[in-house]
Amino acid sequence: MRDQLLRPPGALPEREFLATCIRCGKCAQSCPYGAIRIAGLLDGIETMGTPVIRPRKVPCYLCMKCPPVCPSGALKRTLTKKEEVRMGTAIIDKKTCLAWQGTLCRSCFDDCPIFDEAIKMDDKLQPVVVKDKCVGCGVCENVCPADPAAIVVQPGGKA
Amino acid sequence: MTRKIARKTVQLSSIGLLFLVPFLNRKGITAVTGTLYSLAVGPVWLTDPVIGVQTILTTMRLDATLLLSLLVPVGLALVLGRVFCSWVCPQNTLSELFDALANRTGIRRLFTLPFTPIVRYTVLVLVLLASLVLRFPVVSLLSAPGIISVQAANLVYEAAVGLELGLIAVIAVLELFIVRCVWCNHLCPVGGFLGLLRNRSTMKVVFSEDGSRACGRCRVCIDACGLGLDPMEGRVYPYCHNCGDCIAACESVKGSENPLQFRFRS
Repeated sequence: MRDQLLRPPGALPEREFLATCIRCGKCAQSCPYGAIRIAGLLDGIETMGTPVIRPRKVPCYLCMKCPPVCPSGALKRTLTKKEEVRMGTAIIDKKTCLAWQGTLCRSCFDDCPIFDEAIKMDDKLQPVVVKDKCVGCGVCENVCPADPAAIVVQPGGKA
Repeated sequence: MTRKIARKTVQLSSIGLLFLVPFLNRKGITAVTGTLYSLAVGPVWLTDPVIGVQTILTTMRLDATLLLSLLVPVGLALVLGRVFCSWVCPQNTLSELFDALANRTGIRRLFTLPFTPIVRYTVLVLVLLASLVLRFPVVSLLSAPGIISVQAANLVYEAAVGLELGLIAVIAVLELFIVRCVWCNHLCPVGGFLGLLRNRSTMKVVFSEDGSRACGRCRVCIDACGLGLDPMEGRVYPYCHNCGDCIAACESVKGSENPLQFRFRS
């Protein structure tokens, strides 16, 4: 479902990130929610030791504590506004989304930290992701009652 | 012997902190954060010098924050030598344990390597070159202290450790059965780089029989050296990491008039 790993806020583009991250794990220590986990050898030698967010377990709550602690600059230290985060973009699978299938559900809309901007409800009360506003934090993916989640963050962004 | 007790205390406290720091971080106490790749002690950041060099090579950029964080560790190595290795590094503490274990149980190591720095500098150059060519932090994956500290945090957070610790297992086998202290003496890129920073006025063990400091050739210093060096030779670099065990042993025999001392100039 996800072809890339979801990185913490402010991460450089994947290839640059892999070259710059020194695998120190400081961002994981700074995360008060335990959302940032350290990839292991089983995730591949290239990604071993790098920080990963698995939203279905714990999403990023955009507290913005991790970017400034990065010693190597693999996370952009100057990033402070959660609206400017671009970890990825949430994508809704309309075939499994409860609201798109006719059940009343607005879990993702209600919990989206960029409230009523990144996810909007259309006139049929179906959630729609606004790509320009979505930061890719994965809170929607975390709270989606469908199993597997009908809204999934596709990693990779512009910042 | 207080010298030796002090070092053991610092070594064990360092290992304790590898677990305590991540634990406190998660509780919201963040005065000290990070691992042995890069630490933040209050506003002061400390990054492993060889990791800093590696990152310059992989990114081809000079990051001001990263460079600043090298100042204290580089300064420490310039003035006091490789004290990180002997007083802090958890891998060295483990290696000392492996060595004691091998000596206690009478395991004969298969090979002895001559004390020439060629091996360690070759390893250092190769891993840095690999980092540059592959644009990949090879040194990070070979930093034993870094791996141990990241996995200590992992144990605290997830009650699990990763297979990265396989490196430590390999070191254990190498040091118990193949070559004594081979990691710290010949292979470790972290210690290898710190050793490069040694200069004429870096603190060192000096053998000097001035005045009443006569050496009795009792050889306790040789037995005390965990790296298998001979302090009486008077030149034990670049291997010596200033642990001071030879001085402690010498003091226990000769009192304050011992011929082995830490000095900044030889």
